[in-house]
Amino acid sequence: MQFDLLINAIIAGLMLGAFYAAVTSGISISFGMLDIVNIAHPGFIILGSYIAYIVNVQLGADPIVIAIVALPAFYALGSIIYEIYYRSFEKHGQDSLRGLAFFFGLLFVTEVVLNMVFGVDYRSVNVPYIGGSLTIGWMEFPIRMLVPAVVSILMFGGLQIYLSRTFIGRAVMAVSQDPQALQLMAVDPIRIKRIAFSISLATASMAGAFLIIIQPVIPSSGREYIGRVFAICVLGGLGSLPGTLIAALLIGVIESITSTFYGPSWAPAVSFGLLLLTLAVRPSGLLGR
Amino acid sequence: MAANTNSISIEGVDAGYGLVRVLDNVSLRVNSGETVALLGTNGNGKSTLMKCIMGWARPSKGRIVAEIDGEKHDLAGLSTEQIVDLGIALVPEGRRLFPRQTVEENLLLGASRPKARAHIKTNLDFCFEIFPRLAERKSQLAGSMSGGEQQMLALARALMLNPRILLVDEPSVGLAPLLVSRTIDAIKQLKDHFNLTVLMAEQNFTQALRIADRGYVIVHGKIEFEGNSADELNNNDLIRQFYLGM
Ligand SMILES: Nc1ncnc2c1ncn2[C@@H]1O[C@H](COP(=O)(O)OP(=O)(O)O)[C@@H](O)[C@H]1O
Ligand SMILES: [Mg+2]
Repeated sequence: MQFDLLINAIIAGLMLGAFYAAVTSGISISFGMLDIVNIAHPGFIILGSYIAYIVNVQLGADPIVIAIVALPAFYALGSIIYEIYYRSFEKHGQDSLRGLAFFFGLLFVTEVVLNMVFGVDYRSVNVPYIGGSLTIGWMEFPIRMLVPAVVSILMFGGLQIYLSRTFIGRAVMAVSQDPQALQLMAVDPIRIKRIAFSISLATASMAGAFLIIIQPVIPSSGREYIGRVFAICVLGGLGSLPGTLIAALLIGVIESITSTFYGPSWAPAVSFGLLLLTLAVRPSGLLGR
Repeated sequence: MAANTNSISIEGVDAGYGLVRVLDNVSLRVNSGETVALLGTNGNGKSTLMKCIMGWARPSKGRIVAEIDGEKHDLAGLSTEQIVDLGIALVPEGRRLFPRQTVEENLLLGASRPKARAHIKTNLDFCFEIFPRLAERKSQLAGSMSGGEQQMLALARALMLNPRILLVDEPSVGLAPLLVSRTIDAIKQLKDHFNLTVLMAEQNFTQALRIADRGYVIVHGKIEFEGNSADELNNNDLIRQFYLGM
């Protein structure tokens, strides 16, 4: 095993992991903190990719800037989806199986609509830094990985500060523990869940931009992430954003090392092996509840 | 009517769960600044009455009127959050803390409503002064504390709401005798400091009557006896016989 190859694999893995963290953050909030099995989340990430794509092609704007401008729209979409989900399922205590079917349907609809509008060809964005790379000694940082990674970490830090330091953030952390007790704090648990779910959906705008900077996208690209994001979320521990970040970095590094030395086809097997092993030793995940 | 009057008045309330009627024509009053005990053994409807006040259970008959800072509010139709936001705090049965959050986070959750946020610093200082244990364990998870500490935290969290009326449902449950009397003392201290109006449900008659001005005895969902002073309750033959074991 060559040393510089290993170091570069770790660096690439950390950047990949930071990207996985952004992809998983929404699930970590909806599934980990609100008990909402939003398997449609990767579909909304792809929607974010296509929004970045279309505006980038039309106006030449940077995908990340586009994603930030689109945040309020994703937030609003999240509020609408939560309201429908709450009224149709959660309110009647039918959240688990029927809720899963609802989100599966949403995933399907998103994919079909994107297919009709954009077709099945791969789409990518035009950004000046996409081919560049930053070299320090023999360490290499491809910019198209570095930029999403850095912005992702910033987003993660922001979310964590919001959840741990604000009144609404603390209520989000409390709501799955005892929604009725939250009412005794004069806080409406449904409102808190709506806000948190909307935030979780807003992260899809960012993750979508990251994805299309890193690689070309087709409408069904979201599917490859469903298994991985839930694995990272569970590995990190439900309800813990720091846990999600650590798990995402870990999976990123392990996948990167595995594909560098043993070939990319081994990467998923090693990741899921690690997940099963961790859960056998620590059923609540790395930092979970 | 003085602007600082805070009272609660329950008038002829019937309530229950589905077809099972639990409360039968219950009337009860807590005047401004009083500590009133709602006494009764297990299963007689004390918690159901608390739930009715908080809007968790809806009376099928009667009214509940709260007077907050001299203004009257009929609680029918208000959500639990709105009732709490009027200034009515409940320390519920079983405490209902947020076990996976720290002591400090639990306290700050209590101060979520905008009207309480302005008083966070003074209220937090006072809670830590009365319950030094909570200050020592500020960053510990609420779920990892002992029963006595959890009861202190539940009381302190309710105070962070900056309430006018405090409802406490069976604070003594599950605590060792020494901790029971400490908890009851703490309720009295908090009441005096914040000038609260207190309704406390208890099955520990002796302890409750140490701090209560008056009390009601509830049996099978009916108010069977109303004592206009702690002495009157202590000396009532029925209570002595059945509840105090004398
Ligand atoms: N959620 C509920 N559903 C049905 N019955 C209930 C419920 N809660 C309490 N009860 C019944 O109502 C009666 C009064 O209960 P409760 O108000 O909890 O009494 P207490 O607080 O005095 O112990 C009991 O017979 C109890 O079984
Ligand atoms: Mg009870």
